Amino acid sequence: MTAHGTHVRVADIAKHYEGTEGPIRALEDVSFGVSEGEFVCLVGPSGCGKTTLFRIIAGLESATAGDVFLNDERVDSPTPDMGVVFQEYHLFPWRTVRGNVAFGLEKSDVAGEKRGERVDRLIELVGLEGFGDSYPKELSGGMKQRVAIARALAVDPDLLLMDEPFGAVDAQTREMLQTELLDIWRETKKTVLFVTHDVEEAVKLADRIVVMAKEPGRVREVVDVDMSRPRVRSDAEFGRYYERVLGLIRGERAV
Amino acid sequence: MATKTDVDEAFDGYVEGSLGAIDPRRAVLGTAGIAGFLALWWAVSLTQPAFVLPSPAAVGETFYAEAASGEMATAIGQSVRHWIPGAAIGTGLGVAAGVGLAWSSLADDVSAPIVRTLRPVPPLALIGFAIAWFGINHAGAAFIIAVGAFWINFYAAYGGVEGVSEDLLDVARSLGVEGDFELLRSVVVPAASPEILTGIRTGIGRCWMLVVASEIFGVPGIGRRILRASNNLQVDVVIAYILVLSLLFLLVDVSFRAVQRRLLAWR
Repeated sequence: MTAHGTHVRVADIAKHYEGTEGPIRALEDVSFGVSEGEFVCLVGPSGCGKTTLFRIIAGLESATAGDVFLNDERVDSPTPDMGVVFQEYHLFPWRTVRGNVAFGLEKSDVAGEKRGERVDRLIELVGLEGFGDSYPKELSGGMKQRVAIARALAVDPDLLLMDEPFGAVDAQTREMLQTELLDIWRETKKTVLFVTHDVEEAVKLADRIVVMAKEPGRVREVVDVDMSRPRVRSDAEFGRYYERVLGLIRGERAV
Repeated sequence: MATKTDVDEAFDGYVEGSLGAIDPRRAVLGTAGIAGFLALWWAVSLTQPAFVLPSPAAVGETFYAEAASGEMATAIGQSVRHWIPGAAIGTGLGVAAGVGLAWSSLADDVSAPIVRTLRPVPPLALIGFAIAWFGINHAGAAFIIAVGAFWINFYAAYGGVEGVSEDLLDVARSLGVEGDFELLRSVVVPAASPEILTGIRTGIGRCWMLVVASEIFGVPGIGRRILRASNNLQVDVVIAYILVLSLLFLLVDVSFRAVQRRLLAWR
């Protein structure tokens, strides 16, 4: 699990808080790896420390113990090598769609004209042609999340790290965004680590599913999803994976 | 981001309504209000000697005479010479201090006792310093005005920066923004700009009020003209120059409001 050459390596992460009734062990001994180009989902019941783990991997929070490595380099602060997408979009409201996507490029040496081209290409990639000059307030939730994805991809990160990115949109939009994300993943060949509490979403998207358990937050099992895409909910195979992951989350022994 | 007070809203409505650009009903009612007020004023003035309350017509004549003689333009020109530097310096320093102290908890902790001590000091109480440090001149008056503008902008900017979402900062960091200056420039100040602009607008208005106070110790201008006329019981002149102040305030406020609306089109 900690083999050399793994693209992302989460090694023995622990996070403890000082609670009112003694220390809280939010995460304990969390280890797993993600290979280059792989799509990995992290699922678990609420309160299992998924979001805390996400923030630690992103370098936004520090762990009590353990390390996160990206390409064998230790992550201890936010880095443009990871594109981060949050559930609540967090677009810059004073910037247009184009301005949001260009944000990360303004610090880089990508020259003006090339930058514009790149931004336009990304806006096209997420299906927002014609909305470049719109402000976030004019967009629906699904469109906002597309902008956030394009913004994260703009700096050409090695890893796309997403925390319940489709948790705040309606079911129809969510399904559309899932399909689009798979297309983007295939097209850009990015490594994706995707946090969700939605088992169906995980089975639909992931090459592998890291199932977490709570109290303390830890890895219960890693499930390989060996199924061709596109995956349809009504397939018997889909159902078997779904039941298996759900069972693991509910705390049943692995079969 | 509740930056608009009820007073603010009401005032916006008043300005737009009185220009007749938005709602004809409000324009008609506003005009009727002015007519009613003038009629009442005129009726009361009939019963009073001119040094207590001159008639609207008498004030109008004086206004015209002051304008025609060039006396009014001179007074405006003099006041503007301390209003502009006072407002500009007070605004600039106030915004900078507010942003800086809200961003840096170290600076905030160090300066908190000083800020709390100085905050309640009314600008007028500093006239002695104005005279001692700058003299009876435009610089002294600008100092008084700047103090007034400073605090309004300080608290507006401070509140705005405090309200900036930590999540936006996380996003910026994850996109490679490093260091305080870059974060302030690319996230904090734009995110706090609605509050900062409201502060600037309120401060600019307050500066017009302070123009009169800042001329109390002898600096020439509109305020000086009002004070001198008061001493001579020339109430018509007093009212004429109060009107001048109101019109200047309206002119600047409506212009700034237009700028503000443009800058905040994203909201």
